[in-house]
Amino acid sequence: MSVSNGSVSKAGDWRSYQRVLLPPVKDLHKLEVYEQHGGYASLRKALTDPAWTPQAVTEEVKKSGLKGRGGAGFPTGLKWTFMPPVNPDVPRFLCCNGDESEPGTFKDRQLMEYNPHLVFEGMILASYAMSVKTSYLYVRGEYADWISHMERELEKLYAKGYVGKNIMGTGFSTDLVIHKGAGAYICGEESSLMESLEGKRAYPRSKPPFPAQRGIWGYPTTINNVETLACVPLILEKGGDWYAKIGAEKHPGPVLYGISGHVNRPGVYEYPTGMLISDLIYEVCGGIRGGKKLKALVPGGSSTPVLRADMIDGVTMDADGLRAAGSMMGTAGMLVLDEDTDMVSFLRRITHFYHHESCGQCTPCREGTGWLENIVTRIDEGEGNLRDLDLLLDLCSQMEGRTVCALADAAAWPVRYTVERFRSEFEARCRPSLVSVPETAALPA
Amino acid sequence: MPTITIDGVAHEFEAKQALLQFCLDRGIEVPHFCYHPAMSVPANCRQCLVEVGMTEVDRETRQVKFGEDGKPIVRFLPKLQTSCSQEIADGMVVRTHRTSDLVARAQKDTLELLLINHPLDCPICDQAGHCPLQIQAYKYGPEGSRFEFEKTHKPKRIELGPRVMLDGERCINCTRCVRFTGEVSKSHQLTIIERGVRNYPMTPPGVVFDEPYSMNVIDICPVGALTSVDFRFKARVWEMSKTASITVSNAKGSNCWYWVKDNRVLKVTPRDNEQVNRYWLPDEDRLDYERFNDGRLSGPVVDGRPSSWDAAYAAAAEVLGSVEPASILFLGSAHASVEDNWLLSRLATHLGAPAPVYIPHVDPGHGDGWLRTDDRTPNARGCEALGILPIDADSVRKRLSSGAVKAVYVLEEDPIASGVFSADDLGSAPVIVHAWHTDNRTLAAAKVGLPAAMVVETIGTFVNEDGRAQRVRPAKAIKGVNRTLMMEVGKSRHDLHGTPFDRWYDETNLVDCQPGWVSLPAVAARCGLELSYRGPKDILAEIAGSNEAFRGVSYEAMGESGVRLQETAQTA
Ligand SMILES: Cc1cc2nc3c(=O)[nH]c(=O)nc-3n(C[C@H](O)[C@H](O)[C@H](O)COP(=O)(O)O)c2cc1C
Ligand code: SF4
Ligand code: SF4
Ligand code: FES
Repeated sequence: MSVSNGSVSKAGDWRSYQRVLLPPVKDLHKLEVYEQHGGYASLRKALTDPAWTPQAVTEEVKKSGLKGRGGAGFPTGLKWTFMPPVNPDVPRFLCCNGDESEPGTFKDRQLMEYNPHLVFEGMILASYAMSVKTSYLYVRGEYADWISHMERELEKLYAKGYVGKNIMGTGFSTDLVIHKGAGAYICGEESSLMESLEGKRAYPRSKPPFPAQRGIWGYPTTINNVETLACVPLILEKGGDWYAKIGAEKHPGPVLYGISGHVNRPGVYEYPTGMLISDLIYEVCGGIRGGKKLKALVPGGSSTPVLRADMIDGVTMDADGLRAAGSMMGTAGMLVLDEDTDMVSFLRRITHFYHHESCGQCTPCREGTGWLENIVTRIDEGEGNLRDLDLLLDLCSQMEGRTVCALADAAAWPVRYTVERFRSEFEARCRPSLVSVPETAALPA
Repeated sequence: MPTITIDGVAHEFEAKQALLQFCLDRGIEVPHFCYHPAMSVPANCRQCLVEVGMTEVDRETRQVKFGEDGKPIVRFLPKLQTSCSQEIADGMVVRTHRTSDLVARAQKDTLELLLINHPLDCPICDQAGHCPLQIQAYKYGPEGSRFEFEKTHKPKRIELGPRVMLDGERCINCTRCVRFTGEVSKSHQLTIIERGVRNYPMTPPGVVFDEPYSMNVIDICPVGALTSVDFRFKARVWEMSKTASITVSNAKGSNCWYWVKDNRVLKVTPRDNEQVNRYWLPDEDRLDYERFNDGRLSGPVVDGRPSSWDAAYAAAAEVLGSVEPASILFLGSAHASVEDNWLLSRLATHLGAPAPVYIPHVDPGHGDGWLRTDDRTPNARGCEALGILPIDADSVRKRLSSGAVKAVYVLEEDPIASGVFSADDLGSAPVIVHAWHTDNRTLAAAKVGLPAAMVVETIGTFVNEDGRAQRVRPAKAIKGVNRTLMMEVGKSRHDLHGTPFDRWYDETNLVDCQPGWVSLPAVAARCGLELSYRGPKDILAEIAGSNEAFRGVSYEAMGESGVRLQETAQTA
């Protein structure tokens, strides 16, 4: 057990942790191999054992404490109960979100490559739990190779009668469709994903109505992340209690940490939630490249607030731990930045991304993302003024919480927190001011 | 009754509806761009933000909870809400920019952001002067801009279709135009292309934006991004006056505004009427205005030569007096008003001639079940309600060739051009015609030509296909002094800005013509029939008093949006 500054890892004896999402089994992506290792037993159990009614499956997921792995960390079982009561005349849908486009996030791809059947089985189980007759696996267009790879396996699954009509002869039928996205970050936002699925321009929808009320084609829909659904067969196999005991108590389960940046061994690592950040960097990833010092960490994909090295002592990777530290778990896609990192140009790259990816629907996001990039670029090029820093923060306030979807927040947070937490570095980059700095550059009221 | 409190004022309501519309209906202004009452609500402009809270209610007793200060406890949502998408609810408390600094600040911010990439085209933009962006920027926007970078550039002259031009840079991405083609006209000819700040509306590949309702997007565009190919750069909005009237290119009687500068009609835009055309107008109605300005017959003609009005009236009366009354063919007109057709009937009755008939102009297949109709005239229904019935060309020709017709009196028609009869068919029968244009082919064969005022110069009633009687008002002046018309012009012209650019009284653009309600009584007087009215209003009163179909129809009753004729008349 690692101890740092008196804080304790919530991941227990993580060194002896046995991987369940990505177990070390050769060719596990093949249906035959997956079945040999107990694959589709959970599905068979749910469909054949009368005790496993759809409600019972949902209850088990609730009991597990599973929280969505798509970024917002919403309790999965609770989300499923938002679906209205079954009405045979009204279709309902499930959508598995494999759009994975947040910079620093690359863990769903790993599941789709090495353990696609766990995802399929999770989708079919969730379809059963919510009485869904069609589920979609929406995969980002750039993952074309992974799509064809999964399509081959899905074909086998249909041939075997594990999906489609009368699954395993139990009378339960549900279809699974793999849909290729057309290449935009915004397609990962659940309501724009549905528009995209319907063949429309991927503009997020104004909510309410929420997907469970009006989703794909206007019908009740649930959207879950790839990793979220991959947990479901495990929960059914080993029990919700088992799952709830893994990692952090209030945010349990195995997690795929996608660690990139200046570490010796970047990659996707499966460990329980609640790992100490220091353990992940120094133990799991073999420390900072070239023996350098840590400067900053973005814990959960590019939109989560950056933490300074001095802020991560004793901080664990779970919702509570990161909230206390001043950030968020997001997708657990960790960006590790060493002491040589230029925070201004780091932020410049991030603002460029969000500027490029704003769908352009809402005024604050469409206009604000570009303006943020303009200003950060100017600072990076040594042409910025000190007042630009306050302007940046003010612009963030103009965007946060005022748009149709959360992309505007995702764009504003990195700016807000990078400027606030590395202010002196930004100030040093600005043009020297000969007069005293004005208090703020806020708009006249 | 359920109650919602807005800026401290309680409002009762019956049915649920969107907060923004609720406010607008009560005259509470909330700035907005993307919301349009006839279309879906994307809530994308973010200009209509307000603070929304709910009065706290005890779960068990259902009683409102009060705080220590004795006031009900209100729990406000942490984020500002878009009022366009927010449904009203009992106990809701709303703060607009009038009572919330947060909201005022948010609206100011949105405007600052909208303007950072908006070109400074106002001095040359058709929308300037009635531009929601311009107006709101002045009212609610920041004083300057903190934006110190190059604005985004986009194509500025995209011909989306033959009638609509796009300036991509001016677009604020409200998607109203796209939603119009998707939800209202259903042509699906527009979509947004590109992403983020580079977005602008465009036609899909291989598609031309040429649907028959394309020009509606010009009015609903909250900025000057979409302009009319026909109108652009012709006049600034403050140089024109506008007059409420109806369109006459079909039998729908869509409500419209006629925009006039220098006594010429320059454009036609829709006027909201929930009962007729809502907010829309087909392109054919909008482009039907040049004939009001050009090619007009100015001054009466007798035997092909210019004449005085007196001489022309006398010549007409002489024709009517010189033949057997039973041999006079009176042609009424579905292009002319109810009042004018009625006067023609009275003249025919006085002389003892057969009742007038009218020539229908029906173009099967032209109608679309919406705002275009097979009937290409505005008042066939009005004629029929007056007992003026349609006649087909064959019957007219038969009567002419039988020699039974010795004179023809034509009200606002061109039967030769319409192929009803030819100059040869007429033989020696003299023709009197009320004509608008010099190219009226019947005029060339006529003994007497009386220039007629057009729909934009007169006062009158037209009955649309659905039996709705509606008023037309003079949008431009005619030559000569007619106090009734001048008073009506004064009352109905919305001289929005009263600037000296509009020389509508300029002699060069005045047509020497008369409305039927002036010229017909003048002819009748010379035939011994005294028709003395102060104006069309009295004529309609006479009709309403004597014709069951028009019972209750008056100028007051028609007002801005018209009234339906009596049910009995509709089934007749
Ligand atoms: C701009 C934006 C992009 C998103 N991209 C993704 C994504 O690529 N994958 C994903 O699973 N969720 C993404 N989300 C979150 C989804 O909207 C949604 O919350 C999630 O798929 C729900 O799954 P979960 O409950 O299993 O976490 C995105 C959200 C936003 C606002
Ligand atoms: S916040 Fe940005 S990405 Fe989201 S809908 Fe609005 S413009 Fe599009
Ligand atoms: S062109 Fe006008 S109506 Fe269309 S999206 Fe742009 S601003 Fe809106
Ligand atoms: S009117 Fe545009 S967001 Fe409400």
